[in-house]
Amino acid sequence: MKRRIILPAAAAALAAVAMTGPGLQRPQTLTDALLVVDITRSMNTRDMAGMSRLDFARRALTDWIATRPCGSRIGLAFFTERRSLTLFEPVEICADFASVKGALESLDWRMAWEGDSMIQKGLDHALRRAEGFGVPLIFITDGQEAPPLPYSDPARFAGNSPGGVILGVGGDQPAPIPKFDDLGLETGFYEAGDVQHAPARFGEPPPDASERPGWHPRNNPYGEADLEGSEHLSALRADYLSSLAADRGLGFLRLSEGPAALDRVLASHATGKTVTVTRSLSPILATAALVLLLTLWATGSRRITLVRKETT
Amino acid sequence: MIGFTAPLALWLLPLAGLPLLTRWLRASAVPRLDLRPAEGASRTVDHGMTAAGVIALAALILGLAGPFLRGGTAPYRGNGTNLVLLIDRSSSMDDTFAGRAPDGAEESKSAAARRILQNFIAERPDDRIGIAAFSTAPLQVLPMTTSRTAIAAAIAAQGERGLSQTDVGRGLALAMQMTRDASGLGSRAVVLVSDGAAVVPPEVQDLVRELALEQQVNLYWLYLRTAGARSIFDPGKPGEADTPQTRPERHLHLLLQRLGITYRAFEAESPEAVVEAVAEIGKMETKPILTERSLPRRELGWLCFLIATLATLALTAARWLERPFAPARPAPLVRQP
Repeated sequence: MKRRIILPAAAAALAAVAMTGPGLQRPQTLTDALLVVDITRSMNTRDMAGMSRLDFARRALTDWIATRPCGSRIGLAFFTERRSLTLFEPVEICADFASVKGALESLDWRMAWEGDSMIQKGLDHALRRAEGFGVPLIFITDGQEAPPLPYSDPARFAGNSPGGVILGVGGDQPAPIPKFDDLGLETGFYEAGDVQHAPARFGEPPPDASERPGWHPRNNPYGEADLEGSEHLSALRADYLSSLAADRGLGFLRLSEGPAALDRVLASHATGKTVTVTRSLSPILATAALVLLLTLWATGSRRITLVRKETT
Repeated sequence: MIGFTAPLALWLLPLAGLPLLTRWLRASAVPRLDLRPAEGASRTVDHGMTAAGVIALAALILGLAGPFLRGGTAPYRGNGTNLVLLIDRSSSMDDTFAGRAPDGAEESKSAAARRILQNFIAERPDDRIGIAAFSTAPLQVLPMTTSRTAIAAAIAAQGERGLSQTDVGRGLALAMQMTRDASGLGSRAVVLVSDGAAVVPPEVQDLVRELALEQQVNLYWLYLRTAGARSIFDPGKPGEADTPQTRPERHLHLLLQRLGITYRAFEAESPEAVVEAVAEIGKMETKPILTERSLPRRELGWLCFLIATLATLALTAARWLERPFAPARPAPLVRQP
C-alpha cells in the first residue's frame, strides 16, 4: 500500500521545491557603453532611406538598446566641434529606458555650440571620457572632418583605450548637406563655395604643392588647388573611420548592419563585466511534477459508473 | 494585468481535464459489503479527488507559463513640484566662488552646485525633474522624469569641463518649454543656476515672456556670485553706466521681474549660501502634485506551485488513507460439497 503514495508524495515535493524557487548561478557578460552621437551638420544629410543620418541613428540606437539585457548600462553624450559633452553618466537601461529614449530623441543638431566637426579630436576626447567612466565607447559618426585634416601626420591617440565600436552612418554616394538659417528653417543645401575644401593655410604645405597652380615657394607655398573640391557633399568615409578605429583598438561597423552585428563587434572589441545571474530551476521541477502527476492519473483505474440495480 | 513569460505552455491546459476520465483511488468491479454506499460523503470525497487532480495539474501548467503581475506606474498625490533645473555650462562655472581655479581646499562653483542639487533632489522624492543646460546653445539633458537614478546620473555628468558662452535667454525658453511635459496637477518651477548672464536679444525676450505666461512657471534664479562681481540688486550709483551690455546680470534680473510670474532671485557667494537658497526654494515648492509611482513586476509562479503542492498533498493523503481490497475472494458462505 505504501508503495502507492511514494510517487504522489514525490510530485508534491517537486512542486514544493519549485515554489521556493531554487536557481542555478551562472555568469553572464554584460557590456556597458557610452554612446557618443555626432550631431554636426553633415549628420543632417538625408541619405538613409529618406531619413537624415541623425534620425536614423536615433531610431537604430533606441532599437538596439531595447534588445540589450537588463543590467547593462548606457551613458549618452554627443559630439561637435572637437569634444564630446556627456548628457548623463551610464544608467541601467531597464529601469531608465524612458529617460534614455527621451534624451536620444531630443538630440538635435541645434545643440551644437560650434560648427566644426573634428572627428579625430572628438573621438579621442570621447575615448578619454569613456575611460573615465570605465565603459567601452560607441561613437556614431559619418566621418566627415570639417575643416579637412592638416597635411601633417595625424596625432596618435596616447591614452588608454577602453575599447568599443565606431558606428558609421551615411550612404556611399556623396549627398548634399542641408543648410539652415538663424531660425532653424531649411534654406537649401551647402554649395561648393560655402565650405573649406582644404585645411587652413598654416602648418605643413601639401606634399604636391609645387604641382599646384599659383605655387610660389615664398609667396604661395600652398598653391591654389584648394579653392574647389567636394567637401560640400557628404558620404560615409568608411575607410577613414576604420583606420581611426584600428589605431585605437576599436571595431568599425556600419549602423545599418543591425543590432545583432553591433552586439557581435562590441563583444569582440570591449571587455564586458561578468555578473552572476540566477537561472530559475522552477520550470524544470514543475515539469517533472507535472509529468509524474499526469502519468499517475493516466495509469489510474478506469472510471466505473456505479449503476444501482433496481431489484424487483 | 497578468502576463505570462511563456504563454505557449498554456496550450497544455486541456491535459488538466485528465482526472475527469480516470480515478485516483483503486476501483474494483467486484461488489463488496464493507464499502460505503455511493452517496453523500463518499460522493463528495470522490468529486474532491477529481477536483484536487484538476487543480493540481492546472496549477502546475499555469506556474510553468510564468504568470506575473505587470509592473507599471500608479498615480498618486505627493508633495513636490514639476521642476526643471537649468544649469549654466559656461567655463566660468569651473572656477571657485573666489574666481580662482579650484585647488582642493575650495570646490568649484559647478561642483558645489552639483553636490547641493544632488542632496536637494534626494530629499524630495515626489518631484518630477527635468534637466536642461545652456552654453552657446541650449541643450536638453534629460526629459522630465521621476527616476532618481537617471536624474543623479545627469547631474553628475555636468561635472565635465564647461563650454564657451552663456546664452541664458534661449536656455530659459527651452526650460519653460520642457515644463509643458509636466503633470496636470502641480506647480511648475524652473530653477536657473548660473554665475553670470548675457544680453538677451529682444526676440528671445518675447519668446520667454510668452512661454512664462503660457506655462505659469515659478522661476528661481540661483545666482552664484563670484567675489568682486556686482550684486544684481544693486541699482548702481547715479550717473554710472547701467546697460544690458555693461551689467547683463542686473538686466536679466530686471527682465525676469517683468515677466509677470512668481520670480525670486537668490544671490549666493559661498556654498553655504547656496544650501540656504536651495532649502528656501524647496520650502516654497512643496505643493500637492499628481505624480506617479513605479510598481515593480511581481511574479505569481510561486502561488501556482503552492496551490499545486497543496492539491497534490491532498491526493497523497487520499492514497495514504486508502485501504486495499481483500487480497483474495472471500470464502463462499456455503461450503462446497
